[in-house]
Amino acid sequence: MMSDRKAELERKKAKLQAIREEKERRRREKEQKDVEEARIRASSTNKDQQKEVDALLSSFGVAPVSEVLSSLSSINSIATPEHSVTATPDTSLQPSSISSAHSVPKKRNRDLIVVSVAHTDIPPKEQVVYAKQTQTAHAVNASNDGYFETDWWRPRKGGSTPNYLSHAFDYYDEYNLNPGLEWEDEFTVLTFDDDQVEDEDSSLTHLDGFQSKLPPGILPQGLPQVKEVQPAITQVEKEKEKEKPKEVVRELSEEEKQMIILSEDFKRFVDRSSRIVERALGEAVDIYTDYTGTMDGDDGMDDKSHQCIWLNRVFYNERWSRNRCVTSMDWSPQFPELLAAAYNSNDDTPNDPDGICLVWNIKFKKSTPEFIFHSQSSVTSTTFARFHPNLILGGTYSGQVVLWDNRVQKRMPIQRTPLSAAAHTHPVYCLKVVGTQNAHNLISISTDGKLCSWSLDMLSQPQEILDLLTKQSKQITVTQLAFPSGDVNNFVIGSEDSTIYSACRHGTRAGVAETYEGHQGPITGVDTHAVPGGIDFSHLFLSSSLDWTIKLWSLKESKPLYSFEHNSDCVYDVAWSPSHPAVFAAVDDSGRLDLWNLNQDTEVPAASVIVNGYPALNRVSWTPSGLHVTVGDDSGKIWVYDVAENLAHPRIDEWNKFLYCQQDFKNNKADEELDKLNLSSGPSSLSSMASMPSVQIR
Amino acid sequence: MKRIQSHKGVVGTIIVNTEGIPIKSTMDNTTTVQYSGLISQLSDKARSVIRDLDPTNDLTFLRIRSKKHEIMVAPDKEFILIVVQNPID
Repeated sequence: MMSDRKAELERKKAKLQAIREEKERRRREKEQKDVEEARIRASSTNKDQQKEVDALLSSFGVAPVSEVLSSLSSINSIATPEHSVTATPDTSLQPSSISSAHSVPKKRNRDLIVVSVAHTDIPPKEQVVYAKQTQTAHAVNASNDGYFETDWWRPRKGGSTPNYLSHAFDYYDEYNLNPGLEWEDEFTVLTFDDDQVEDEDSSLTHLDGFQSKLPPGILPQGLPQVKEVQPAITQVEKEKEKEKPKEVVRELSEEEKQMIILSEDFKRFVDRSSRIVERALGEAVDIYTDYTGTMDGDDGMDDKSHQCIWLNRVFYNERWSRNRCVTSMDWSPQFPELLAAAYNSNDDTPNDPDGICLVWNIKFKKSTPEFIFHSQSSVTSTTFARFHPNLILGGTYSGQVVLWDNRVQKRMPIQRTPLSAAAHTHPVYCLKVVGTQNAHNLISISTDGKLCSWSLDMLSQPQEILDLLTKQSKQITVTQLAFPSGDVNNFVIGSEDSTIYSACRHGTRAGVAETYEGHQGPITGVDTHAVPGGIDFSHLFLSSSLDWTIKLWSLKESKPLYSFEHNSDCVYDVAWSPSHPAVFAAVDDSGRLDLWNLNQDTEVPAASVIVNGYPALNRVSWTPSGLHVTVGDDSGKIWVYDVAENLAHPRIDEWNKFLYCQQDFKNNKADEELDKLNLSSGPSSLSSMASMPSVQIR
Repeated sequence: MKRIQSHKGVVGTIIVNTEGIPIKSTMDNTTTVQYSGLISQLSDKARSVIRDLDPTNDLTFLRIRSKKHEIMVAPDKEFILIVVQNPID
């Protein structure tokens, strides 16, 4: 065993030896080549080269003196300092130093001789005489003892004088470049030539420092070559990079993909980025519009300019809103572009949840809802929780009030009120958040006349319960609720018994206060005037009814101020403009949206639009800016209409005009009553025939 | 994804992870590989540009409009969503 091993070791050693020798040989060849090259270059020394070498030398000077010792053994290296010194042969620049330079080499010659006795490799000293090539030469020398002697000698024969010159200059040059490091070395070399042998060791270390900077066999001139090589490497890298993805693609198996797809991170990413991209996709703005070109859109512009109202877009989702009647709409107070819409159940899809609430975004032109919420029971009313931007509330047919949170990746409500006698057991058609940031309540009223006020922090039990009863102690079937602007106590409710009531929540007379009779059918919509301005119109409210009329009321009078009888079908909803004091919108069963401007005309609407397909329009609402009207129909579509500027931005005198308008209403009413009295005093047959139309015409 | 794909004008949608490996795609294999490799490099570069300009900043969205397409890139920490659409709607 041992012997085997030994033999093996032996063999290996031999191999190594062989390899080393091979290496050595190669290196020599290479160096030889380099030297040749260098010589050729040196022969054509020009200023450029000098500069280059200067730079190189400077880099030497800075170099650390670490790997010196290895090459210390041979005296050949002595040559290196001188080589390096001679590397910048600027003969023309330093004529004055020639003499000193002369002396130096002479002395060296002496030294050389001495050294040569000890070692055969004195020639390197002679090389000192050489120009820059010396560096490479020195390296050669260090590695192979006197192998190139002939080479080195040849130049020496050629020109000793020029070498001296260059030598002389070099001292200065070196000194200038690295004062700290070189000064002493140069000095010793210069002044103590006789003692050079003694100094050799110390100077050598430095010299080798220079030397070590350059890898053996590489000429200073070779540096650019190195640079050329680099791009090649980067190209290879690029190629590798290209290849990489392809390789990795194969690595990802279907299972891995599935793993990633199912991960929570991935879902969140998809949710987030798909929203962004959808919005970006929706932006159909042509950024390349060229106004200097031909105007194709001229006609369209003209059409719009004399229109008061035009269709902007339709919110519709095939999956979630098809065949579902829009039951309620509300705008986010924090983000005025967000619209929450509640939808009724769809009989065609019994497997889908009954109640749907979608949040649409009017700002971005994307066709999908921002959020989708579900409820077990159809949602009959919805509202944003005014002081919590993330919460959306819904009143359901079952009587529950549900709470959704858009921060949670969940479509079902995160909270809901109990379904018990303590709360609602009838459909909740009215839902409002009233109060201030610090003290606000959710008010809900169900169709059995029960009013509950809730704290949003605790939906398990209402804070207050109030039963709304008529004077005959009958439950009021409440369908509509409206708070006058700035009021949290008093409110107006519309009922199915065609009467409107005002009521208050607190105080000694909590409950129904006044009754407003005038409609002949169930009340479908009630809206209080809420435009801020110089004159307070908050006592005014509008009501719509199945009796085909819209009536304007004042809380101060039990009879309507005016009745709008322009519609020829059931009016389902009515809404004041949030910005113009005299403008309101109304929708009816025949698919017509009317915009009324009372300052302009009280007999006919200022603008009227028939919605495509004549759907029954169930709900109407304005954007908080007053620039858009949204209309919800019975098939699950929400139509967004743009309103002309003059209807959205009132002039200052509109408030006064509206006041006169109200005065006119009163005068007209008085006239009417007078007429009635006159007529009734006339023949009864005539009065019965004439009185009815006269009322209706007005 | 379906929603985005259903948008008119959308040619393809790809989800790529940070290493440029496509995870989901609606395009054919070779184009997917090509897009994911190149776009992920581009978005990396874009991100580094943004970060170099302001270290507190970060890239959130990248739109590249060309004569034929518009490429939208929504990069995130771990994934990149690439949507290619025809600008002529």
